[in-house]
Amino acid sequence: MDGRTGRYAAFTKRLLDSVLATSGHTSRELRRAVLARARPSSPLSGTESGTGGEDIAPDLAAYVDKVALHAYKVTDEDLAALKRAGNSDDVLFEATVSAALGAALGRLERGLSALRGEASPPDPLSKVGPHPLTPSPSGRGGTQE
Amino acid sequence: MRLHAVEHGHRLPQRLKLMLIRLVSRRRVPDVVKTLFYRPEFFGGPMCDWTQAVMRGPSPWSVGERELFAAFTSRLNQCLF
Repeated sequence: MDGRTGRYAAFTKRLLDSVLATSGHTSRELRRAVLARARPSSPLSGTESGTGGEDIAPDLAAYVDKVALHAYKVTDEDLAALKRAGNSDDVLFEATVSAALGAALGRLERGLSALRGEASPPDPLSKVGPHPLTPSPSGRGGTQE
Repeated sequence: MRLHAVEHGHRLPQRLKLMLIRLVSRRRVPDVVKTLFYRPEFFGGPMCDWTQAVMRGPSPWSVGERELFAAFTSRLNQCLF
């Protein structure tokens, strides 16, 4: 049920399967939780976000949000701190890929739903702060109709 | 590259490919390639297949148009394309 992203559904499914279902250095539950956290709910994915998976440690959760919302803000120190906290390179690699994939799928689904003229779903990560690409509701001075 | 494993931890087949790319291009291999070559069964393999289909497969959009979309999106994400 994860692969409903248009004509590339089979590719999406294969990627999701390899990232979420293969054995790795993190549990499948953690990767699912990271992906769900990074993936804004949409009419397509809304039923999937409640995976009931394991909790994400607060420092890792903050990193996941950063990758999902503004990856360019990630710093060397972010990764160094996570490593000092005991996360191996492979753990961080898997968490980063899961977060990036979740964020990408969320945007893809929101874009496709916008093309279909559906209302934009609320963004569960918006509490972290507005996405830099989110237009301001008030618009910019002088450009409103 | 912030993760040492993704910079230097490739297995032999991928390490050989990276060496070949370095030799032919005579420049540093881009980090995105190193990332795709790291544990490709986990991420890089299916990701490359997907990218190939989207960027080069049958589409109403030309390859150039698709590359432009990707470059524009990367720009908005403040990510070097």
